[in-house]
Amino acid sequence: MLLNHLKLSFRNLWKNRTLSFLNLLGLSIGIGSVLTLMFSVYAYYVADSMIPEQEHIYYLKTHLNDGNDYNEVVYPLLDKIKSTSPEVEAGTHLHGWGDVWLEAGNKEFQNTTAYADPEFFKVFRLPLKYGDHNTAFKEKYSIVLTDKVSKQLFGEENPVGKSLKAADTLNLTITGVLEPISPYSSFRLGVLLPNTLLKDNSNFKQQTNWSNSFSPIFLKLNPETDIALFEKKVDKLVQENYADPTVISRMEVMPHSEVRMDSIPVVEIIIAGNIATSFFVLLLVLVNLLNLNTSTMFRRTKDIAVRKILGGNNKGVITQFCLENGILVLFSIIISSALFFGFLLPKMNDVFGADFGEINFSLKNDYPVILGAIALGVLVTLVVGILPTLRFVSLPVSQGIKGKIDSAKGSFILRNSFIILQFSIAILFICIAIILNSQIGFMKKADLGFERDHVIVGNIDLDYKNMDAANSSFKVLLNDLEANPYVTQVSTSQSVPSDYYFNYTTFYDPNTEADVRFRRSYTDDGYLKTLQIPLVEGRDFDRDFDNGEETPVIINRSAMEAFGWTSIKGKRLKFKNSDFVGNPIVGVMKDFHYQDLQNAVEPLVHYYRDEENLAKHRYLTVRVVDGKEKEIKNIIAAAFTKIATRKNYAQSDLGDKVSGQYRLIDGMLKTVNVVALLTIFISCLGMFGLISFMAKRRIKEIGIRKVLGAGIFKIVVLLSKDYIILVGIGALIAFPIAWYMMSAWLGSFAYSVSIQWWMFALAGCIAFFITAFTLGIQAIKSAMANPVKSLRTE
Amino acid sequence: MLLQLKNIFKWVQQGGQRVFLLKDINLEVEEGEFISIMGPSGSGKSTLLNVIGMLDTFDEGEYDFLSESVHTLKEKYRSNLYKEYIGFVFQSYHLLDDLTVEENLEMPLLYKKIKSSERKALVADMLDRFNIVGKKDLFPTQLSGGQQQLVGVARALIGKPKLILADEPTGNLNSQQSEEIMALFKKLNEEDGVTIIQVTHSEKNAEYGSRIINLLDGRKI
Repeated sequence: MLLNHLKLSFRNLWKNRTLSFLNLLGLSIGIGSVLTLMFSVYAYYVADSMIPEQEHIYYLKTHLNDGNDYNEVVYPLLDKIKSTSPEVEAGTHLHGWGDVWLEAGNKEFQNTTAYADPEFFKVFRLPLKYGDHNTAFKEKYSIVLTDKVSKQLFGEENPVGKSLKAADTLNLTITGVLEPISPYSSFRLGVLLPNTLLKDNSNFKQQTNWSNSFSPIFLKLNPETDIALFEKKVDKLVQENYADPTVISRMEVMPHSEVRMDSIPVVEIIIAGNIATSFFVLLLVLVNLLNLNTSTMFRRTKDIAVRKILGGNNKGVITQFCLENGILVLFSIIISSALFFGFLLPKMNDVFGADFGEINFSLKNDYPVILGAIALGVLVTLVVGILPTLRFVSLPVSQGIKGKIDSAKGSFILRNSFIILQFSIAILFICIAIILNSQIGFMKKADLGFERDHVIVGNIDLDYKNMDAANSSFKVLLNDLEANPYVTQVSTSQSVPSDYYFNYTTFYDPNTEADVRFRRSYTDDGYLKTLQIPLVEGRDFDRDFDNGEETPVIINRSAMEAFGWTSIKGKRLKFKNSDFVGNPIVGVMKDFHYQDLQNAVEPLVHYYRDEENLAKHRYLTVRVVDGKEKEIKNIIAAAFTKIATRKNYAQSDLGDKVSGQYRLIDGMLKTVNVVALLTIFISCLGMFGLISFMAKRRIKEIGIRKVLGAGIFKIVVLLSKDYIILVGIGALIAFPIAWYMMSAWLGSFAYSVSIQWWMFALAGCIAFFITAFTLGIQAIKSAMANPVKSLRTE
Repeated sequence: MLLQLKNIFKWVQQGGQRVFLLKDINLEVEEGEFISIMGPSGSGKSTLLNVIGMLDTFDEGEYDFLSESVHTLKEKYRSNLYKEYIGFVFQSYHLLDDLTVEENLEMPLLYKKIKSSERKALVADMLDRFNIVGKKDLFPTQLSGGQQQLVGVARALIGKPKLILADEPTGNLNSQQSEEIMALFKKLNEEDGVTIIQVTHSEKNAEYGSRIINLLDGRKI
């Protein structure tokens, strides 16, 4: 019997091959995308699961009075907390301090370097491939590698006990290798060093005071700890010990599971978006199949009746139908898996890999995804197999045999709501895509307060092997560039727009009693000229008299306003409660967007630092005459080949660098574009199936109308009118939702486009034309049919 | 006695009024009879046939089939009853288009859960008897109307029913094809003793039967 069902199913699918193909296509693409989206969500959720007892691990978040917050705290706080709070079982810092160059044999490499306390493994008992948690950080000169780094250096060998040379001087012993860490994990590690190593570093010692917040701390708390109480305790410690506790409104003890969302806020949006999108796509696919299957059922009423007369029962009918859908679903799962591995996963890694790391599929760890896909398939099959049949199997045989079904209003309302739902979703995605597009376009083209064109940016933070030699060669290069007629301006600086450090320093004005948090950078005297940032007041740096005892600074307009000043005459940049007289402020520059437009322009200070010091600058910026970019780039690159460095010199155009800030949002846009296309495609597939079915049902009516003199156009309108109305209703539902969602999203940008009516109109038009096209093909076909033929068949 | 209808009424509500489809029908059918039901369009011929075939219900009256009172039976038993004893032949054949001739014949046997070897034998036997062995792998749409109806009759017969109900079996056929089908019915009735009730418009076809029942507006005349 089953064999018979199977044979029949294949025959049926083949008989309606156009429809089957459309179904297969929609299902494959739908399931493929759902698989991809769900896989990334799954990868995200399990990424931190290798941290044992994560629920007892917390970190501290500092909330400031101005509404900002950050996860870093001052260095001595951890010891203070540990010595006063018995509920803390273990605690560790985890921070970077420049990525160290490591040497193993003749290989030199640099990796993300994190420093942690010896207690690190008591807090995070990350599984070790080699080595022992208790001894890993016992010795000062030890290093723990991630699996990836270990493989790079030693292959499959166990490297524990071998030694590495760090920064040309230190000999470190490898004491452990971590198990592979998912790129979605909160740990972004290459190598892990004990921070006892840094205790000798004078620069580090200087920073570990009660005013400089640069390291997050992680605490493992006793499970019985009252978090609210502990929070108060920490708050008190902070108020008592911080150099300047007045700017801090409160401390928050955050569970470690929040840390990923905290560090990259878009992650939350992306993950939520992924879940919502996969849900919607799945819904679309389901609704689509339901619609098409209901239509098929109409055609099959007679068939079912005959089977019943011959002795069949309802179960048989349902089995047959489920089997047919099951075959479709099975094939589409196979196709979508191929899509997933061959196209969608690599594509997703392309889009998001740069920010989140590439994720790979491994059967050992990710089998739940496969099980999920199969469960999903079974569910889809059962729903679309059983639901549409229910109405038909209960139909009396004597009516079914005549091919008559009472076209009860109920089913039409249901199906119409399905269509409305489909198109609402599709139009919603189109709206999102359009608004996203215009926001990104706006951000890329916006006036940033500086001239981004014809500026070459070279990265000169290259780990020079011989700093003195490098500096003198660099000086020669600078002189050459300044002498070059195609070069208008040259500058070296610590930062360029799109890459300013997030180091905040609070300055104080005793007159206005204002605390202002600044971001800092160091530039030479050519920076403002190179980027053509105008001065509002005062003067630019000048190498001829700024190399004296005091380092002059230039602040931006926001900073001046934050202090409540109208002029900088005689002003100095001072710390609170400090004897330091402060840096003289010599100029005010116009607010320019040194970070992306998602963030407002914050107070900024540039310290003067002369241009020749390679060690203290990270960027070389050169403004050149239009069209000569390539020539100058070649000159600079050639000069750097003669300087001994560990990293390779790389350069780009400032414009590209600025646009590059939006890579992640660009990626989101690409995804949304694809999803929008997908949803409208799937909806149209369903529509196509429906109208061909409706045309068949109304074939007699069309025939009669034609005999009575209706033209082709009239009939096309007759057939499509209802659907166009449904699409219209869908649009009306989608617009406010899109408006609400996108206003919320745009609200997260400091600078954004405003939502215009034409964006919705455009989305509506796109949906309308695609629908009209789909409908048109089928409607015209039916309208052109010879009425004599259609009337006779009835 | 094969079946007996007593005071059968069937009606539908239309605009608050009862419209009678069948009105006080009394009918007794003995085994081996060949009955033709005649009457103009809308007189209730097909409805009567459906009631006899248990495909349709009635609103009043009693119906005994092989001394089982059908009107008191549950749907499930009723369908078991007609599956077992009744074969249907339709005006528009109602063959399953997705199945070959052979598979169409096999279908009722499948539902009766007859073993594969036995099924094959029965089907081969039927193909042979109706001279359609050569057509067994064709699909219904590849056959002429007469041939399709031949398959329809064969399918109705394969379950060895006591009663065959035929609703205008020759309605879609030309005169030569009709004669062949009617001759077949006659032969089945006479040689195999199968009871046949047919609905027909044609006086000529009605002649094949042993008894004629005339209906008008749902009433026997």
